[in-house]
Amino acid sequence: MSDARVITHDVVIVGAGLAGSWAAMVAAREGVTNIGVLSKVHPLRSHSGAAQGGIAAALGNVRPVAGTGEDGALEQVPAGAEPPDSIDLHFFDTVKGSDWLGDQDKIKVLVTDAIEVIYEYEHMGCVFSRTDDGRINQRRFGGHSAPRANFAADWTGHVLLHTIHEQCLKHGVKFYSEWQLLELLLEDGVARGVVAMDIVSGEIVTFHAKAVLFATGGYGRAWKITSNATANTGDGVAIAYRAGAPLMDMEFVQFHPTGIYKHGILMSEACRGEGGYLLNAAGERFMEKYAPSKMELAPRDLVSRSEQTEINEGRGVGDDKQGIYLDLRHLGKEKIMTRLPQVREIAMNFLGVDIVYELAKIQPTAHYSMGGIPTDVDGQVIADANETPIVGFYAAGECACVSVHGANRLGTNSLLEASVFGRRAGYAIARFIKGGAKLAPLPARAAAAAQRARLARLMSRHENGRNVPLKQLSETLKKTMTDHVGIFRSQESLETALATIHRLQGDFQHVRVMDTSRRYNTDVLAAVEVDHMLTFSELVALGALARRESRGAHARTDYPTRDDNAWLKHTLVRQSSDGTPELSYKDVTIDWEKCPPQARKY
Amino acid sequence: MTNITVRIKRFNPDTDDKPRWQDYTVALDTEKTVLDALEEIKSEQDGSLTFRRSCRHAICGSCAMMVNRKNGLVCTKPLKEAVEEVGFFGAKNTVTIEPLPYLPVIKDLVVDQSVFWQQYEAVRPWVIPVENIPTKEFRMSQAEVDAMNRAETCIMCGACYSSCPVIAGNKSYIGPHALLKLFLRVMDPRDTEIEARLDQIANDNGAFRCHKVSNCIGACPKGLNPAQAISALGNMALRANKLSQARAERLKTLIAQVEASASE
Ligand SMILES: Cc1cc2nc3c(=O)[nH]c(=O)nc-3n(C[C@H](O)[C@H](O)[C@H](O)COP(=O)(O)OP(=O)(O)OC[C@H]3O[C@@H](n4cnc5c(N)ncnc54)[C@H](O)[C@@H]3O)c2cc1C
Ligand code: FES
Repeated sequence: MSDARVITHDVVIVGAGLAGSWAAMVAAREGVTNIGVLSKVHPLRSHSGAAQGGIAAALGNVRPVAGTGEDGALEQVPAGAEPPDSIDLHFFDTVKGSDWLGDQDKIKVLVTDAIEVIYEYEHMGCVFSRTDDGRINQRRFGGHSAPRANFAADWTGHVLLHTIHEQCLKHGVKFYSEWQLLELLLEDGVARGVVAMDIVSGEIVTFHAKAVLFATGGYGRAWKITSNATANTGDGVAIAYRAGAPLMDMEFVQFHPTGIYKHGILMSEACRGEGGYLLNAAGERFMEKYAPSKMELAPRDLVSRSEQTEINEGRGVGDDKQGIYLDLRHLGKEKIMTRLPQVREIAMNFLGVDIVYELAKIQPTAHYSMGGIPTDVDGQVIADANETPIVGFYAAGECACVSVHGANRLGTNSLLEASVFGRRAGYAIARFIKGGAKLAPLPARAAAAAQRARLARLMSRHENGRNVPLKQLSETLKKTMTDHVGIFRSQESLETALATIHRLQGDFQHVRVMDTSRRYNTDVLAAVEVDHMLTFSELVALGALARRESRGAHARTDYPTRDDNAWLKHTLVRQSSDGTPELSYKDVTIDWEKCPPQARKY
Repeated sequence: MTNITVRIKRFNPDTDDKPRWQDYTVALDTEKTVLDALEEIKSEQDGSLTFRRSCRHAICGSCAMMVNRKNGLVCTKPLKEAVEEVGFFGAKNTVTIEPLPYLPVIKDLVVDQSVFWQQYEAVRPWVIPVENIPTKEFRMSQAEVDAMNRAETCIMCGACYSSCPVIAGNKSYIGPHALLKLFLRVMDPRDTEIEARLDQIANDNGAFRCHKVSNCIGACPKGLNPAQAISALGNMALRANKLSQARAERLKTLIAQVEASASE
């Protein structure tokens, strides 16, 4: 096997979650016939399928029963009644949730397109839960001031993913299932293709394309306690960065308040959306202290910080006192069985408790990556603060940073983001191809051979016997990120983290893997993933160290307040000519008349 | 803490003539899953041990394999439970892990599911809706959703497929996973092709191939019942005419409801 094979497509899409699949389906539907979609796991195994709670859109199908308050019952909206929700309300909630760091022009697009995207899912056969009169059912979610999480029990992501994948098949999209991206071919501001490995055979292949879209998902695996699938190693962001693209707002990482104690696996926010309580060791509903009006349904950054504060002050539960109780017992069996069946199963499997009768132990868990590859509203990747396009390079979904989530994403807005911007990228790519885009020549250097050499080094015997085990290295990284680049950060913790990361980057040169075979070598690919994690973890810590304020999910104990004068701006980071990261900043788009920054209270 | 033996069937077609068993020792602790044990072996003892996994909580369908001769997902199976089952070799404190049967092995616990996916595609798993799509949602009732019996939650892990004796002998049978998908589409009031689908169900490789051995029920990690769906499909195929008329009527009301709501 020479690794010399070149496969040519009009469009290469990397990632087959909601974002990549929407883009592929739309581009195909628009008449682009030559599309290849690469995914390192089978498309239906993509992490989008793990999403539980819901997908936001102000359909206004459901409203709170008058006079029952913040956690009262919901009812379907009678025909002819005043709509309880609106695009404007969704817009404002998202801006506020973002702690004013989201770009308001882009948020407008997100909440507006939301409506047609949800209906489109429904028309494509998605099986949603229904109201009595047959409309899509909706529930409450944190930070949203109306019930607008459209849901399918607590397997929403699963049904959305299967629906969009089926549509891709219907439109004849070609999938390369179990192919792993290794490199982006980007030269002179123009994308030319990618280098990837066929995991089954071990062959390294160059893909030549007019347009490349990254939809590779989030980077939550760099933390010890995480809700993310093992595939979420931030490959796309690290690879784009190394190819010369900038990354934006990498320091903003969301910690979800309810991960399974010690495992990190998610218990959906729908638990609180349906009325669950959080209790400390003393049995107190401590959210009273931190968010007296929204209580458990305050946004995630706030709830996770409140939990961590309770834990740090000694009111945690569990043998190491790092846990908190989630109480769902008062919801009753009927509601739990119909609305939270998957969550109940997860608690049984990992905690051995039945949430109908018992408390569940949870703890904050690394969950969502607000940062990523910067794009405009059509998925077009931008090179700088002036939004200069990188020709032929697109990104969408969690690996992208549009930015609609700013400093903190609201639950249910990310399935939406992946769908809305994946779809828009699909249209944009179709326009680009049909507008006569040409294949730019591949770079002269032998990229595939260089990737082979990189893997060969990891698989070789070490010259001087100094072999660093991969596991030891990755565990040190994850612990560092959890302890020092977690929910609370400070100059000291971030400097410690950076020093450790730099040391680990050096150690990585001595990593050798055990599996030396070609076929399905997940050992060597895991090492490549750790390499990616080392790359972006440094950027997360660096952005966090520079940002001397607290905003959304970025909480500095030494700079506890938001500083709009100095820090109402996006962080950009790119690799300088000597290989070190270089920070710069980009303005946030704000409608100063209609939606100027306000204090964020819940 | 007790140590236990994890006995794994290994095979790399490039270097091995035939599959072989290899034993590993891991410490048993109550919080570990079988997947945790595999991860531990791979990262600490033998990096060449190969298996699939991703989500870690029974939703992505990657990690189906055979543990103690029974198909299931390893990510949610407690190691302790696996140890307490009577093992394949009858050996105490031993868990045996093998790849899903009836499929070619790519490496160790990773099987080639190409045929499985082709069968899934062959049933046209997508909904085929009416031409004139409404502006809002179709008014489908929760009862109609419930009648799908959660078929929409199938994670396509292949555990049922690889437990089916018909599949063992004959890959032209379209299989319990694809039939469950067909059931979902046949039950969906938005789907217009009930007639063609019932034809497919009634053909040689469809529902009537099922021998009602029902291994699939025990194998499904999501508690679904492919056998029941297949038998329901068989019955429906026999009443195909009536059902397609009923669907035509339902589609009329579905569209009328949407039109009415558009003028609300
Ligand atoms: C447990 C959990 C629950 C969630 N619940 C909700 C919810 O209720 N509502 C909500 O709005 N959001 C939720 N989210 C967030 C949401 O699911 C994700 O943000 C969203 O699904 C991301 O979609 P995506 O298409 O960008 O990426 P993913 O679905 O993660 O897909 C990434 C794709 O990229 C591929 N890929 C990655 N790296 C490579 C590589 N190197 N080579 C080839 N392919 C590669 C993968 O194979 C995969 O196909 C949840 C997240 C988690 C972790
Ligand atoms: S790892 Fe996803 S189903 Fe087991």
